[in-house]
Amino acid sequence: MKFLSYINIKLSLFLFIVAGVWSIFFYFAIEREIRDETDDMLESYRDIFVKKALVNPEILNIPYETVFDRYSIRALSESEAKGYKNKWYDAEAYFPEGDEHIPIRIFKSVFRASDDKYYELEISMSTLERDDMLEAIFIYIVVLYILLMVCITLVNLVILKKSFFPVRKLLIWINSLVPGKPLPPLNNKTNITEFSQLNDAAWTMSQRNLRIYEQQKEFIENASHELQTPLAVALNKVELFSQHPELNEKKLEELEQIYSTLQRAIKLNKSLLLLSRVENRQYPEEKEINLNKIIKNTVEDLKEVYGNKNIQVDIQEENKCVVLMNDILAHVLITNLLKNAFLYTPVHGVIEIILRKNCFLVKNSGEKSLDKERMFHRFYHSSDHNSKDSTGLGLSILKSICNLYQIGLSYSFREGHIFLLKFTK
Amino acid sequence: MKILIIEDEEGLRNTIKAYLEKEMYIVETASDFTTASFKINDYDYDCVLLDIMLPGGNGLTLLETLKKMHKRENVIIISAKDSLEDKITGLDLGADDYIAKPFHLAELNARIKSVLRRKHTQGETSIVLENVCLFPDKRIVKVKEKELVLNRKEYDLLYYFISNPEQVIHKMVLAEYTWGDNIDQADSLDFIYSQVKNLRKKLKQSGAIPSIVAVYGFGYKLVCKEED
Repeated sequence: MKFLSYINIKLSLFLFIVAGVWSIFFYFAIEREIRDETDDMLESYRDIFVKKALVNPEILNIPYETVFDRYSIRALSESEAKGYKNKWYDAEAYFPEGDEHIPIRIFKSVFRASDDKYYELEISMSTLERDDMLEAIFIYIVVLYILLMVCITLVNLVILKKSFFPVRKLLIWINSLVPGKPLPPLNNKTNITEFSQLNDAAWTMSQRNLRIYEQQKEFIENASHELQTPLAVALNKVELFSQHPELNEKKLEELEQIYSTLQRAIKLNKSLLLLSRVENRQYPEEKEINLNKIIKNTVEDLKEVYGNKNIQVDIQEENKCVVLMNDILAHVLITNLLKNAFLYTPVHGVIEIILRKNCFLVKNSGEKSLDKERMFHRFYHSSDHNSKDSTGLGLSILKSICNLYQIGLSYSFREGHIFLLKFTK
Repeated sequence: MKILIIEDEEGLRNTIKAYLEKEMYIVETASDFTTASFKINDYDYDCVLLDIMLPGGNGLTLLETLKKMHKRENVIIISAKDSLEDKITGLDLGADDYIAKPFHLAELNARIKSVLRRKHTQGETSIVLENVCLFPDKRIVKVKEKELVLNRKEYDLLYYFISNPEQVIHKMVLAEYTWGDNIDQADSLDFIYSQVKNLRKKLKQSGAIPSIVAVYGFGYKLVCKEED
């Protein structure tokens, strides 16, 4: 969600609550004010009436009614009058003229006339219609709300958009960074303190990242160099030693074990190196590669290598699969994927390969699914297989190459392991 | 044939020297940049094995010096920095081959032979061992002047054996040479056994003097005399 929309939504929600609460409060305040005013008027009415009645007692016998106010008088006994309390209440009166009920306010009070008798005076007066008032208040509040929202949105659009320009520019700059490449200049002057601090922080952080990246690259290269040389010495010493004519079978067998173990260490070191290089994007050259050809050649070789397993391989070429990528990495990708299939297919198993225009599927027989969470991690070994068989790096190399070229790599299990690769370029 | 090994790691230097001396080469060594420059300036060699990272300087500088002096030495770069840039720069500067550490001695030996052969014979080249004659450019093998038909893998194996006669070669080395990277996770090397068996049979049937013998548990060896 955009910051602008976010602010707008939050503000409109806040304003909605404020306007709602305010309208309720406003309604009650107005209503109370009107009632007080009506009550005051009713009281003055009574005072005027009582004054008149004292001077002119015959009006007590004449009921009075106009359209908007009326009064009635009732004689009270003394005992009734003693405990009498003034009463105000709301009621409705029917007006046949308009065929409608209108709200009225009624005031009941007692007074003693000039004949020393007690009378109850009931005055009613038409008052404000609450429904109408509610409606009016509601409409005005809604109008106010909309007006406020429109104003705030406009202000947001103009001011925020303008003041957030440096942030957008910074984002574009950050997105343009490539690991290991020198930082492009960041010309992003701003008067807002926070944003200029953000610029500085982003710049310092990127510089630090670049430095760490270079150090790491250097470390990997140095570590590999340091490791390759002693490995080379040990390997070549064993090779030279194996040429001694006086070696007997037993000794040769021992020597063979040292040799194989050394080979494993070398393979592991090479795979780690390859993985780091792929992740450090050290294979920049790209060209169009015909995967069909590589796959067929690799399958031929692997069939010989795993000849003792009698694996049946079906290749369905529905189309030519031509992709733009590094030649070495294309070979590594195919080799790793197919070797994996051959290695884990049981004896007399089947490997199916389907090639389409932009995708490529490998299915091989297997009994149970791999751990989808961990299968692409470094040094993952499926529980059924000995770690001696593989370096545990094959699938992570596969994944890294796929990440590098934005190749969609998915794994599923349906009566066999299925690896599906979808190419985007 | 004179070979100069420029390599700072003593263990590696001595091992390569010992292996190449068995192959009847005259081998000299240099362990740092300065010694190496002296030797290159003062003597002529047929082949120089050059490490890139040396105490006192970069091996590529030595390569440039060599080429500026218009010397005819063949140069094989041996480097632990198995990086593409080094390989490309090295070959651009005029190196004849590039081999990354760690390597097999048999592989190095085969590369040296191939480089030297290219230098010393213009036109048709062949490797002759007793009555077997191998033409690397055409990938043809003749035994007693008659062509011996081999498949691609069998030819590769024979080429490797002939480059390293009388040397024990580990089966993994043969597998790597003929099948490339495809075998690095293989749990069994039985496929090598059947290929070698076929090659051995074909050599025997054609009446070749050199024969392949198995070295128990380890690998194979090409011998020129009957050992039984």
